[in-house]
Parts: sequence; C-alpha cells; structure tokens
Amino acid sequence: MSGYIFRRVLAMIPVMAIVALFVFSLLYIAPGDPAAVIAGDQASPQDVERIRQSLGLDRPFLVRFAEWTGQVLTGNLGTSMFTGLPVTELIRQRLEPTFSLMFVTLILAIAVGVPIGVVAAWRVGSWLDRALMALGVIGFSVPVFVVGYLLAYVFALELDWLPVQGYTPIAKGLWPWLENLILPSIALGFVYIALIARITRATMLEVLSQDYIRTARAKGLAERPVLFLHALKNAAVPIVTVIGIGVALLIGGAVVTESVFAIPGLGRLTIDAIVRRDYPVIQGVVLMFSFVYVLVNLAVDLLYTLLDPRIRY
Amino acid sequence: MSESADARYAAAPALPDILPPVRVRTGALGFAMRHPTMAIGLAILAVMAFVALFAPWLGTVDPTALAPAKRTRAPSAEFWFGSDAFGRDIYSRVLYGARVSLLVGFAVAAIASAIGLAIGLVAGYVRWLDGVIMRVMDGLMSIPPILLAVALMALTRASVSNVVMAISIAEAPRVARLVRGVVLTLREQPYVEAAITTGTTTPRVILRHILPNTVAPLTVQATYICGSAMIVESILSFIGAGTPPIIPSWGNIMADGRALWQVKPYIIFFPAIFLSLTVLAVNLVGDGLRDALDPRMVKRL
Repeated sequence: MSGYIFRRVLAMIPVMAIVALFVFSLLYIAPGDPAAVIAGDQASPQDVERIRQSLGLDRPFLVRFAEWTGQVLTGNLGTSMFTGLPVTELIRQRLEPTFSLMFVTLILAIAVGVPIGVVAAWRVGSWLDRALMALGVIGFSVPVFVVGYLLAYVFALELDWLPVQGYTPIAKGLWPWLENLILPSIALGFVYIALIARITRATMLEVLSQDYIRTARAKGLAERPVLFLHALKNAAVPIVTVIGIGVALLIGGAVVTESVFAIPGLGRLTIDAIVRRDYPVIQGVVLMFSFVYVLVNLAVDLLYTLLDPRIRY
Repeated sequence: MSESADARYAAAPALPDILPPVRVRTGALGFAMRHPTMAIGLAILAVMAFVALFAPWLGTVDPTALAPAKRTRAPSAEFWFGSDAFGRDIYSRVLYGARVSLLVGFAVAAIASAIGLAIGLVAGYVRWLDGVIMRVMDGLMSIPPILLAVALMALTRASVSNVVMAISIAEAPRVARLVRGVVLTLREQPYVEAAITTGTTTPRVILRHILPNTVAPLTVQATYICGSAMIVESILSFIGAGTPPIIPSWGNIMADGRALWQVKPYIIFFPAIFLSLTVLAVNLVGDGLRDALDPRMVKRL
C-alpha cells in the first residue's frame, strides 16, 4: 500500500511538469507578441520593451524555463506586474474565501446529489425519476452566474432572507461565515449536483440488479438499509471518481460565482488580473488550481482501497 | 413429397390479429414521437438558428447604436426587452448575440472533435507514441478548462476566433481520450485483425474499420462539447476574457448588465433565458443521440 502511494505521488510529477511547461510556454507559443498584447494598444515601444524584459521574453526559452522552474519549486511564483507584490502572497491572501466556497459547495453537492441519484434509481422509470433527471439536464444547461443572479434576486433582494453579496471570514463566527456562502454554494453546486445525481443513479441501477440485492430483499430487509448499506456502498467507487473529476467544474465555476456574489477570493484575483493583463498572476492561479485538482484526484485514487476492499495495490 | 405433405397437413387457418399491426410512422412526426427529447431540442435549436440568421429582419435595430437619452428603459413597445446602460436595444443585442453563441458552439464542437480525433487515432494506433501523448493529455486535462481558456485569452487579442481556439484547446484532450479508448478496443476486434491479416494497409484499416466506429461516440461527445462551449464563451465574456465587448454576445450583454443587476435585472434576464434554452436544447439533442446511437447506454446513464 505505501509502495502504491509512493508510486502515485511519483506519477503526479510528470503531470504537473506538463502543466507547468504548458502554462509557461503559452507566453512563447501564443500568436502575435504577448508583450505587446499585455501592454495594450496605447503603450509606447519602451513600455512593450519593459514588459518583455520583466517577463523574461528577451532571453532564450530554455534558460528562462529552467530559471522559472527553479523558482516555482522553491515556492516563488514571480511578482505581479501590476501591484509588484509576490504572486504567492496575493494567492495566500485570497485562499480562504475560495476554499470556503468550494468546501461548502462540495458538502452541499454530495449531501443533495447522492440521495437524489439513489431515489431516482430506486424509483427508476417513475415520474419522480423522470422529474429528477429532467432537473438534472436543466442543471447542466443553466450557467452558474444565471443561477447565482436568480437566487440572489429572489432570496436576497426580494425575500431578504440572506445577504446579497460579500464574505465574512470564518474567524468572525460560523453563522456569519456560512450565511454569506449559502447562496453562492447553491449556485455553484447546481451543475455539480446534477453530475453527482446522474452518476449515482446510473451506478445504483447497475448495483440494484445484482443477486445480493435480491437476497437482501428476500431475507426481509427494509428498503432503506438495502439501498444505503448494500447498494450505495458498492456503488461508491464511480461516485467518488466523479466527485473528484467534478472539482474542475467547481474551480472554474468559483471564478464566476465570486464575481456574482462579490466574494474577495481567487476568482476576483483572476478577473482583476485578466483586466490588467497581469500574466504572472494568471499563471500562478492556474498552476495552483491545477495542483489542487491533481491532489484531489490522487486522494480519490487512494480512497478506492478504503471504499472497496477488493481493490488491492 | 410436397404434394403428399400438403394433402396430409392442412394449412393452418389464418389467425385473427390479437394486436393491431404496429404502424411505424415515418417523416417528421414519426421522428418526434420516437425521440421526443431530440425533437424538442432540435426544434429549439432551429428557432435559435432562424433568429441568428435572420436577426436583421426581425424588427431589430443596430445592436451597437447608442442612445444616451434612452438609457436603462424597462421593456416596452419601443424596447421589447428594455435598453441597457448605454441606451442600446437589448432585444436587438440578444438576437444578434445568438450568432456569436451558435458560431462558437458549433465551431468549437467541430474543431475540438477534429483535433481530438487526430490525436486519439495516433495515440491509439501508434503504440510507442501512446504513453507520451496520453501523459500530455493528462497534463492538459488537469488544468480546469475555464482557467486554461482564461490563460490563453490573456495572451491573445480578444476576438471570436481566439475564443473558439482557446475553448477548442481546452476541450480537445477529452475527445482524444475518448477516441483512443475506442481505438484500443477496436483494434482487438476479430474483423480488424482479419483485415490486417489479409494485408490491408494501416491507413485503409483506420479509414474503413476504425473511423466509422468512432463516429457514434464522437457525435454524442461533440454535442455536449457544443453546449459546454456556449457556456464557457458566456463565462469568458462575462468575466472580460472573451468576445470583444463591441460584439453583442450573450455573455457580453450580461457583463454589461452586471453593475445594474439589482435595479435592472431584465438586462441579464433576457440573454440568460436565451443562453440557457439554447444549451438545454443542445443537451437534449445530445441525450437523444446517445440513446438512439447506443441503446446499451440508456440504462447506464
């Protein structure tokens, strides 16, 4: 087992190396002159030259890449071209709101998505199943910011139940923190719930047709333990896999959700960086999120052995 | 022999039909009855395509015309969907916006499928390249698609074609993995081995035996990519990394309405309805295609 973990961690290295190489070489392979694009239309030739130097575009690719990799490995993601602050510092300041939002959404999506999928599979073909799956298609189709504005309009502006926008650090209390995150999490979780519900239903359908389920029912077990103990346990691996893959949706959606609900997290940082064409910041955010994504999926892989003892490495 | 048999065994009497014969409807109505979701989706898409094509003749005005005296008007007879912060007619902007969304959706679906198909075929067929290609695809897939597109857009000038390329690059690895998987199972099939044994050249094996079998899964995947590309385009435009603000796209209209959404929600409401309906239609077609092309999948997903 420990050998397996070690191999899996090792396997992360080439993947992260490719991410880093790609994000870095974008500066070189982008069509046109990135320095001129970043400088904008009103920039003087001196400005363009200054940006070219600060990005290191005046030096050979391999030299720059070696330098840059060395810096990244020692935890230095460069400096923001706009604020002059280290990118790691900018990211660190914004971590809490974004990860709070993603965490609450993850919990919410699992707590809602899995039961929906189980119920739909249990009553497969019924009107309930159809209604839930129709909701699922809608969940895939409505963009996150549309859900966000709709929720904010109804529950914050019209009904005044929850705050419209903003973020309160968790240090100021659990409820103030959670209160601000409820609407953004529902908005962000919409697609994710649909995804989890769909895969849960599909896997449960397969498991429910197995002989041991018939046995469990035949010996007189109530439906609830049959569904949640016998069936769901055996359906866990694909569900957890999709939860891991879906984190990419969470990350992409968080950027937009933060913009709708004025949450001062990494999404705001990214959007500000886009407006200012602050490439080192964008590069840092992309690297950081990709790293998180790879880590999450590593954790999912390692979870398999806990969820299904038949899987041995 | 046959004569004596006929004589001894009388022909069975014609039985009355227990069930009336199944009448299979043909034509558009029959298609709609057999595939209701796909029919609904195609109908909505047809309406959107009509709107996009004939936008100039549907009672629209110049979608970029400014009218500072008529800012943020509520929906009325003059401004059917109201007017935005610059006095532009939202009805006209939304109708013209259909062009950008549909163009981006279909272009990304086509380009990402083509790139992914090529990469997937090579990876699935050229053994020694497989490992390298798939590691690179894994790397690209570890970058969340929206962030990948954001990074690409930050380094290029805003234009519709750059948006299409950025989203295509973000989506192509998923297609490549799908195609590679199909190719790997196909090349073990007896009929492919038979073709190779009888001396069929590799290009011909790919063209005659492999490619046709990738069409069904690829079409379904392309449909979902089309829907997701429309959403990504609107998100990119919404956060200012997409279609240039001068071009009316649904994401841009919503981005313009962002500052005023608490007082003038209709600026965001109308493009949001159109975008959601269109993506819903594309996804319905995708679900319908999946069910029609691969009946085994119906139970699984």
